[in-house]
Amino acid sequence: MTNTQIPAVRPPQPATPPAPAPRTAARDRGSRLLATLFLAPTIVGIVVFTVVPIIGSVVLSLFHWNVIDEPSFAGAANYGEVFTDSTVLVSFRNTLVFMVFAVALQLVVALVLALAVNGRMPVWLRSVFRSAFFFPLVLSAASISVVMKYLFNQDFGVVNWVLGLVGVAPVPWLTSENAAMATVILVYVWQQFGFSFLLFVGGLNNIPKEIHEAASLDGATGLRKHLNVTLPLLSPTLLVASVVGIINALQVFEQPYVLTNGGPGDATRTVVMVIYESAFEQLRFGEASAVGVLLFVLIMAVTALQFRLSRRFVHYQ
Amino acid sequence: MSQATLSLSRTRHSLAPWARIAALAVCALLTLGPVVWTVSTSLRTPAEAFDLPPKIIPTDPSLEAYSGVFDQIDVWLLALNSTLVTALIAVGQMITAGLAGYAFARLEFRFKKPLFGLVLATMMVPLQVTIVPVFLVLKSMGLTDTLLGLIIPAFPTAFGTFLMRQYFLGMPKDLGEAAMLDGCGPWRIFRSVYAPLAAPGLAIVGVLAFNYHWNEFFRPLILETSGQNYTLPLGLVSLQGNLGTGSISVVLAGVVLSMIPAVAVFVVGQRPLREGITSAGVNR
Amino acid sequence: MTDSLTRRTLLRYGAYGAGAAALAGTAASWDRLTGADIPGRDDGSLVVATLGPAYGPEAVRTLTEGFKEVHPDIKLRINAVQAVDWSDFFAKILTQIAAGTAPDLVYVATEGVQLFAQRLGVPLDDWVKRDAGELREYFSDVHPSLVESMMYEGSLYQLPVEFNAADMYLNNQVLKRAGADFPAADWTRDDFTGLLRDMKKSSGSQFTPYFWTNRLWGGVVPWLFANDTNLLSESKAPGGGWLWDSFYPAAARQGRGGGFRWTTPQATDARVEEAYDYLASLIQEGLCTRPEGGNGQNLIGVFSTGRVGVTPAGGFWAGGLHLAGMKADGFDVQYFPRWRTQRMQYGAAGYALLRTSKRQEEAWEFIKYAARKDTLTRLFETNQTTPARRSMLTADRYRETGPNHWQVFYDTLDKFPNTGPIPAPPQVAEVEQVLLKHTGTALASRRSVAPALRRMQSDLEKAMERDV
Repeated sequence: MTNTQIPAVRPPQPATPPAPAPRTAARDRGSRLLATLFLAPTIVGIVVFTVVPIIGSVVLSLFHWNVIDEPSFAGAANYGEVFTDSTVLVSFRNTLVFMVFAVALQLVVALVLALAVNGRMPVWLRSVFRSAFFFPLVLSAASISVVMKYLFNQDFGVVNWVLGLVGVAPVPWLTSENAAMATVILVYVWQQFGFSFLLFVGGLNNIPKEIHEAASLDGATGLRKHLNVTLPLLSPTLLVASVVGIINALQVFEQPYVLTNGGPGDATRTVVMVIYESAFEQLRFGEASAVGVLLFVLIMAVTALQFRLSRRFVHYQ
Repeated sequence: MSQATLSLSRTRHSLAPWARIAALAVCALLTLGPVVWTVSTSLRTPAEAFDLPPKIIPTDPSLEAYSGVFDQIDVWLLALNSTLVTALIAVGQMITAGLAGYAFARLEFRFKKPLFGLVLATMMVPLQVTIVPVFLVLKSMGLTDTLLGLIIPAFPTAFGTFLMRQYFLGMPKDLGEAAMLDGCGPWRIFRSVYAPLAAPGLAIVGVLAFNYHWNEFFRPLILETSGQNYTLPLGLVSLQGNLGTGSISVVLAGVVLSMIPAVAVFVVGQRPLREGITSAGVNR
Repeated sequence: MTDSLTRRTLLRYGAYGAGAAALAGTAASWDRLTGADIPGRDDGSLVVATLGPAYGPEAVRTLTEGFKEVHPDIKLRINAVQAVDWSDFFAKILTQIAAGTAPDLVYVATEGVQLFAQRLGVPLDDWVKRDAGELREYFSDVHPSLVESMMYEGSLYQLPVEFNAADMYLNNQVLKRAGADFPAADWTRDDFTGLLRDMKKSSGSQFTPYFWTNRLWGGVVPWLFANDTNLLSESKAPGGGWLWDSFYPAAARQGRGGGFRWTTPQATDARVEEAYDYLASLIQEGLCTRPEGGNGQNLIGVFSTGRVGVTPAGGFWAGGLHLAGMKADGFDVQYFPRWRTQRMQYGAAGYALLRTSKRQEEAWEFIKYAARKDTLTRLFETNQTTPARRSMLTADRYRETGPNHWQVFYDTLDKFPNTGPIPAPPQVAEVEQVLLKHTGTALASRRSVAPALRRMQSDLEKAMERDV
């Protein structure tokens, strides 16, 4: 993150910046003191409840530990194990595939719907649509996945029944290797897109009407207008939505756990599922920690990459 | 007259408004479909639960499943616990995120960048990795099997801090500078200039916190031991019965009941939420 | 200007008000937040962890109060862990063990018996010998196979209180529609296939004759047993004579040992492949659903509404179907069909005593109390499981819920003495995961059976080598 703050929308700026405020040592001290006070609750909390536990799991990743006996030092053995374990490797691939499609779909759906909702319509209707699209976010992922599991059942589910009405043969949504990942993505996106949707609605509201009008006058129409004018103006929002979307998608757990339990085969097994299974089901806490550390590194790398790329694609006014 | 021209000119290059609205309506129905099915099934007898075509409007609606929920679990105690936990987390996060977000946005101090990076990085740690060490930390504080043990670790919020930082950055800098020229110190600038403008941003932090923690399952499962300390999502599990033999209507009635407060908070918080997100999502 | 000023003032007072209310609320509920209002915490009570969904608040109260009458001197706390499944349950118990706050007793099903026995449990042998007189009545009422499934390497680790064998549930309405009779007790696999075909012919498109869930209990394993094989080679540990000799008559002792041993994986065994081929052919013919993971939540609904004709389930289903609104004569139960054998499979559960417990004597008293007939009678009122005690299965018990042939539940043990537990070595978690995983791919088509079983075999070998 850079420290140069350029708000996308600001009131008209004076041509020259106001004279810099007199900086005094006292003022700086005051600012530092205040910052310390303001940051203390967050930083202390993070250190105690996140940093210390993370250090704990990094250390743990160097040990064999089954919870019951004393841990024994393993060096890098757990990492070696991880890199040769086909289930772990597949789970990383699945997670990346899941991330790419889930985030892309989520952003596209949210963006299209946000543009559509932003169009001309009665105020009450717009409010109804907004609430509807946000609604799934309010629900618990675990309980709604139980419902979804029934709806997507191949033989008895409502989804296949509806498709049957239009002559589509029953789809094995959750029981075939090809369809299962798609279904998990669908259910996840269904629940999550509301968040990006709200971000986009907000972002669109912030784009001054004059810009649109100017673009229309220049002859930009429909899709082209959105591609050339709206999207660049929305790019900071897109960045936020995709960063948060990716961080969440890389940690997906509930949906595959309830819908398919990782199957069929390993088709929908995600990294966090592997962590949970090897720690709490197979008592291999060291190896689970090693996978956790790798996932953490992966998320950081992806996020860093995003910010790097964003310098080229994100436009600030 | 001008409106007519405008809509005419619109139809030329984009979808006709009615087609767009119809498409949106279809999407809204798809989005709400599973929720509608859940609610309507909770009002049906289990025998009708799996009928095809689904009886969206139950032939014989009954609230029996709901009284079943109240018979089988202590809904009031569970709801009290959930409310205490969620409300305090929401308030706590509003405070920590508001203060930290402001510091990152508007105050100068050393190690700002690495500290902010640290805060963001906590978003990237899956809960399942740290739960055992967290349990040990709580144990050393004597907070396992207490509601406080659920609440306190949830106070720092990376996303909330991030959001509030964006939010404060979105406010005109001139306001603070003007106040500074008037001789205000950093605290006065915060208190009198920026803090009063922060309400919508804080509302999002609060609503999102409520949403997330109201539905939380894994942490309460691991941290709470006594039945008296269970939160609603934990209590609902026992409706499933031994080996999944509970009545599906009762299970779904429980889901619907637990949904109500989250929906209410969303409805009440919708406007500030929208306003807040409007200004938070666009800056960096 | 004035407007915004008053609004701001209002906002500010509103904020003060909310803050004050929050503070007051926090203060008022401080005891709730710290758990100080819970009587008897950390007071040296005997702590028992049970699986929440099986033990609702009512059951916990019943158990606690009943125990207090018998042992007023022992303080007891029952924690009903609200886990969705066994792995959630273990996650909770393991975290507590890691933190040194483990309960004294843990409710453990067959799946975890050997893992707990090997790593965490205390053998009950000495107590059983000491209190033999008191326990004679219990053992005479419980089938030796259930007891043997709770033994590990010659020692007894739990007293079974409940069990569920996989029998076949049949929907009477679907049977009638198909013009089929209720199957005979010695029906064969081919009779079963024929019945499914009849059901399919006489029903509409929203119907699948046979539904099952992909899990260790009641998934593929009953078919392996019927085909006289197992996922892992099965043998008996030596020992156990001390128990059999003192509690069971010679006939019942026959062939009993010191507990089951599951060792060499045999997924590529011809009979295992045969069983998978059979299931794959049923799926291909549209007689059977594809394997779906997870618990059987949907199953009761589709069965009770006649969209499924046959499904494997245990005594726990009688209560479940009743709750789902099915009449006692709407369904019935028969043994699993015979293939090479008519051996069937079950899982059982009871309380395991942890080594870390400092209250082992009191814990043993609870184990005995929990296995008493009056305790179990009070606990198992709704037929959401099968009691381990034979004498509790009565016409009276099943009058309201059904099924008509309720005797099948215990006769699965009594009439088929070789009926055995699901294979659950200490490495069970990984074994189960490997089984579910490759079963899912094996049954995608008939051609995928053999390659998937080969992969299952090599994964099982790896799993079994691992020291848990």
